Amino acid sequence: MLWEFSYKKTWLHKINPSFKLAIVFLLCIQVLFIHNLNFIINYMLAVLILYLFFTGHPSMRLLLISVPFIILFLTSSTSMIFFGKGEETWFEWGLIHVTEESFFRGIHIGVRGLIFAVLGVVFALTTRPVYLFYSLMQQLKLRPKYAYSFLAAVQLIPIMVEEMQNRRSALKVRGVQYRKGFSGFIDKFRLYSIPLLSQSIRRAHRLAVAMEAKSFQGAANRTFYYKMGFSWLDIVLLLYFIISISASYFLAIYFPYFPATDVRFG
Amino acid sequence: MSKGLKLTDLLVTVIVAIIFGIIYKIWGPLYGVLSTFGLQVEQLIYGMWFIAATVAFLIIRKPGVALLAEVAAAHGEFIFGGEWGISTLLFGIGQGLAAELIFAVFRYKRFDLFVVCLAGIASGVASLGIDYFYGYINDLVLWNFLLMVIFRLLSSVMIAGMVGYTIVRALEKTGATSLVRPASMEDYKALE
Repeated sequence: MLWEFSYKKTWLHKINPSFKLAIVFLLCIQVLFIHNLNFIINYMLAVLILYLFFTGHPSMRLLLISVPFIILFLTSSTSMIFFGKGEETWFEWGLIHVTEESFFRGIHIGVRGLIFAVLGVVFALTTRPVYLFYSLMQQLKLRPKYAYSFLAAVQLIPIMVEEMQNRRSALKVRGVQYRKGFSGFIDKFRLYSIPLLSQSIRRAHRLAVAMEAKSFQGAANRTFYYKMGFSWLDIVLLLYFIISISASYFLAIYFPYFPATDVRFG
Repeated sequence: MSKGLKLTDLLVTVIVAIIFGIIYKIWGPLYGVLSTFGLQVEQLIYGMWFIAATVAFLIIRKPGVALLAEVAAAHGEFIFGGEWGISTLLFGIGQGLAAELIFAVFRYKRFDLFVVCLAGIASGVASLGIDYFYGYINDLVLWNFLLMVIFRLLSSVMIAGMVGYTIVRALEKTGATSLVRPASMEDYKALE
């Protein structure tokens, strides 16, 4: 799990988790409404700075985490590049039809995906889930029973992994043969999913009974082990995004990299 | 008896959702591999990302469960480092709401294959709606766009609908679901 690795604490770790989640979520919605390729590239750089320098994780780990994102960038942009609408033809071969418009639009979608990914990873790398849920209860008034359900569920993951290994050994001991190809996949899916799910339901039920006995479903004015608050660093993060995003916008208008100012067709 | 979700309902929903969150995370690279073939074949497995809502609802059979499960599963995928990062949450909320809406239309009283498939389709439509902004899918050439829509809705029915329904039918045989479901008329009759 990401949060069990060692890392240095940076200012991003100290920001109120609810506030951070709200900002990241709002940025995510804003990015959906950016159609200017130059703007979105600058935007990505602004987000990338946080990822590269302020998560407090070693650079090898950051590099490793970024591999799937780069693959996603390629796969998510190619579909639009090859099959998008456009008039300025660059290349045509069978069904594939690459145009200037579809190319820029494809790159745009790829960059947008990268922004989502990087924002998400920055959040995940700098936020302990325990603090997030305590903060959601205290700042956003999430009902304690929801928060504690999540926290309990996260704690159960290692048990599920162990159970899966047990299941694998058990099936091996019994000499279970799988069919070849896709049917084999279905066999495996059936043999693993049903026992794992049913055991999890039973365990969740037992755990819930125990938690109810301890009044975890809880009254509104309960006390908390961790107290989450706000600090001036929250304002720093807000200012960082306001300044960097405005700068990205004006740089995109005065110093564009590409002529594409709106990647939508027509 | 209170009408809202009890701690048991919540915990079961969230744990089932987290299991699917792990599957959602594994589904990402698989989707990526299929994407390299082009022609939208990757859409044929897209329906897996709607399955948490339908399975959780079929297990618990209470209002709010579908939405909670889909959001929790998306959150799981997100904290396990899913490729789509924060947008996963947005898709989760949209897809969960859509499935919830279908179950609400039937007043949370129908748990058959038809309603579950319909909920899958609704989630599929919601995801397409978000993709309209995210991926400009309407700017694909028409045949490619239609291929995408058809494949995605097909997989919604196949995976979120049929596979989800089959899983829960199998779970019912294990007896685990009777722990968490509200007692039905048949249960009372069995007591007499």
